Amino acid sequence: MNTLKFEWRLIVRSRLTLAILAVLCLLTVFAVGRGLKEVARQNAVISHLQALQKTDLSDLAKTYGPEGDAGYIAYYSFFHTYDPPSSLAFVALGQRDVLPYNLRVRALGLQAQLYEGDNFNPELALPGRFDLSFVVIYLTPLFLIVLLHDLVSHEKESGRLGLLRASPRAGIALWLRRALLRSGLAFLAVALPLIAGCLISQAPPTGIVAILALVLLYIGFWTGLCVLVASFCADSRRNALVLLSLWVAIVLIAPVATHLAITRAVPVPQGVNIVLNHRQAVHGAWEVPKALTMQRFVAYHPEWKDTPPLGKTFEWKWYFAFHHVGDQSVAADATAYRASIANRQAMARTAGYVLPSVGIQTAIERIADTDIDRYLGYQMHITDFHTALRRFYYPYIFNAAPFHEPAFSKAPRFLAKPYSGGVDIRYCIALFGLTGAIWLVGILRMRNRMS
Amino acid sequence: MSKVLTIALNEGRALWRNRTAIISAGLFLALSLMAILNAWDQFRFSRDLRATYQSEANATFDAQPDRHPHRMVHYGHFVFRPLNPLAAFDPGVDAFTGHMLYLEGHRQNSANFSETRQNTSLVRFGQLTPAFCLQVLAPLLLIFLGFGLIARERESGTLALSLTQGVSGTQLVLGKALCIAAVAAVILLPALITVCWLGAAAGQGMALTAAILAGYVLYLMSWAGLILLVSMHVPRAREALLTLVAAWTCLCVFVPRITPDIAAQAHPLLTQMETDIRIHKELKAMGDSHNPDDPYFSGFKQKVLRTYGVTRIEDLPVNYKGLLAVEGEKMTSDLFKTYAARNFGQQQAQTRLMDGAGWLSPLLALQRVSMTGSGTDLAAYQAFLDQGEAYRYGLVQHLNQLQATTLTYVDDTDKMRENRIDHRHWTAYPDFRYRPPAESERLRRLLPSLGVLAIWFAAVLALSQWSVLRLGRAAQ
Repeated sequence: MNTLKFEWRLIVRSRLTLAILAVLCLLTVFAVGRGLKEVARQNAVISHLQALQKTDLSDLAKTYGPEGDAGYIAYYSFFHTYDPPSSLAFVALGQRDVLPYNLRVRALGLQAQLYEGDNFNPELALPGRFDLSFVVIYLTPLFLIVLLHDLVSHEKESGRLGLLRASPRAGIALWLRRALLRSGLAFLAVALPLIAGCLISQAPPTGIVAILALVLLYIGFWTGLCVLVASFCADSRRNALVLLSLWVAIVLIAPVATHLAITRAVPVPQGVNIVLNHRQAVHGAWEVPKALTMQRFVAYHPEWKDTPPLGKTFEWKWYFAFHHVGDQSVAADATAYRASIANRQAMARTAGYVLPSVGIQTAIERIADTDIDRYLGYQMHITDFHTALRRFYYPYIFNAAPFHEPAFSKAPRFLAKPYSGGVDIRYCIALFGLTGAIWLVGILRMRNRMS
Repeated sequence: MSKVLTIALNEGRALWRNRTAIISAGLFLALSLMAILNAWDQFRFSRDLRATYQSEANATFDAQPDRHPHRMVHYGHFVFRPLNPLAAFDPGVDAFTGHMLYLEGHRQNSANFSETRQNTSLVRFGQLTPAFCLQVLAPLLLIFLGFGLIARERESGTLALSLTQGVSGTQLVLGKALCIAAVAAVILLPALITVCWLGAAAGQGMALTAAILAGYVLYLMSWAGLILLVSMHVPRAREALLTLVAAWTCLCVFVPRITPDIAAQAHPLLTQMETDIRIHKELKAMGDSHNPDDPYFSGFKQKVLRTYGVTRIEDLPVNYKGLLAVEGEKMTSDLFKTYAARNFGQQQAQTRLMDGAGWLSPLLALQRVSMTGSGTDLAAYQAFLDQGEAYRYGLVQHLNQLQATTLTYVDDTDKMRENRIDHRHWTAYPDFRYRPPAESERLRRLLPSLGVLAIWFAAVLALSQWSVLRLGRAAQ
């Protein structure tokens, strides 16, 4: 215990160490603040649009309600779907700045609406966001390298190493204690603002614990690397160079190379095809015999098989029928498209078992529920809502029932998709194993060299 | 002069013997080469794909059967954003922007199917392109190779020795500078050859290619100068290394990631949904063509009747429904234009703010030069959207005019009648051609940032000059 107190005193006296820890803590506080602010902004955007949606729909009810033509109303009624950030989204904003989280849909063909995007400036998206996951993955290892690259060499260069090794109870405990204390403080510098942020955003405890565990493991991984490098007993300059090269390889190059490998390994069938074929199916319907379209529609919705045959003039039921037939005609393409995107994400997860930087990014985004899986889930959620919407309008349209103002309030309500993230224990185990292995080799080497 | 050369050669020999230096430089060059090959491959794939899609879209549009022109308005058209060959060097915002635009009547759609929407968030770490290698990795490599240039000599005591043995501070620093500049040149060479080759493939003028080259040379030479500067001032090599990595983190990672947040907050954008709702509302406030008593449209009707000198719309020599469609499209498109201008204006203001941050981080200045020079910046994307909208408006109004001139009002209002016009009208309409922003305009946009880079370089040089004098004095 005394020795630990002594180490603590060493740290307090070293202004550089304190400054480094303070900067790391400040950056984390800043990142947490930015994250919380961005989440609050996205929530504000959603509730602003919800209010707009309400007035828009009530205006519509006033305009078209008296006439009560369900076809017109279904044609002109847009509904607001949205995907609110989770209470942990502030930790890793993920792709939320480039993927749309608000989309208006109506009961017409969904495949022409589902891929629409929102306004954003692509030049702002280019450098990536400054959030907590970035501080943890990118910056924390750099701070650890600065703190730990002269773990042993510092004593050697100041001429104390011989003395330390000659002292009774010499061994490697001193170095491990020193490394653990410093990286422990670095962990606290990141963890405390993180916990504060979680309390502010009222995040679920399991999520907080999981993220803290991941951060701890990642810091443990880098501390292990520093100990391993220190065990080679080179000078501080060389240690720093080697550790920084490792950082470049692990944090800069590995994810970029993985991304390249994944995009090449899993070509995504062009989403463009879905839209092209869908448009052909929907607009080509004007040339298809109406009875044939209705026959196809009834195959998907047998409950309308007894609807009276169509006359020569335009009828809304035919119009909505061919929109649905259009959606169904590209259903296989759309499923394949989604599947290959999900496949890319699965490959990134697999790569994460061996590459800590990739792994921690995917794991934290999964916990924060801000990755592409969430987006695909949101699209599915929109699809379900769209189905409910169609089914709501069909009786009015097919039975030519009047759709007056009270009917507007009976329309299905969009409910946001609940939290769908989770903790990947396998990943934690993989990182734990990797970290443990590095520590083991580091300790063994150090024991050989030092004693 | 010969002393300078000797020092440079000595330093070069030391680097050559340094295993770590050779390995890291070799790895960097291999990575650059891989990036170049991959980028070229990807570029050809995307370019061919988009060209195929565009010609398919043109063919299907032309192949539509006889139809009512308004059906063709809803059928619409697809346009695809072609890729500049220099995108193989610096893809810029290409991964974040959609490349397909669906054009139809009454609506303005977003450009869809960007790479980011079908990828994992690994793309946010950056993409392995030649530009990424030069912008982000090359300065790090230079730091690793050059942090000890002078600090190491100081640490080992050879610095004072050299300075008292008749080598002036200026000669020493010039020699070292020559060495690191040569290293930077080697790093730059493969990528610069690529730029020249792609620039030629893109058929673009020498001025733009030269501007890109100048940007990268100034950038890496600024880094080389900065490395020398820090190495001169910091007592120990290790501290030089840590200081330089801190500087790199700040200039290449911290500032570029913080600025977008500030820019987005300073100039907020309207969401697409709010834009749509507002346009719909404003349109309704102007007039409702379905309402027979609407003041705007009855005024329009009177004007048309007066122009043709008739009293009933049935007596008009043209189809009144077509005229109404022309008028309606004009009204919506004016609103689209207003809102698009507002949206683009905000985005340009954001981008200007990013450019201003080039004074804080040369990386941002270089990215402006590189992206704009390569035709992969926001402006090139907005030009595509603008031209797509112009094409949409032209096509829709052309079809509306056809409705006004080829169909009669009586036929067109007869619900029992199928009104179709000859499909040759579709083939006759010209195809979409994207015209990238003019080279002079691109040059004008990138020159301020090139100036910022030059000033960075000049500042580093001036500081070095001052430091050399200090070094010389310290030795006396």
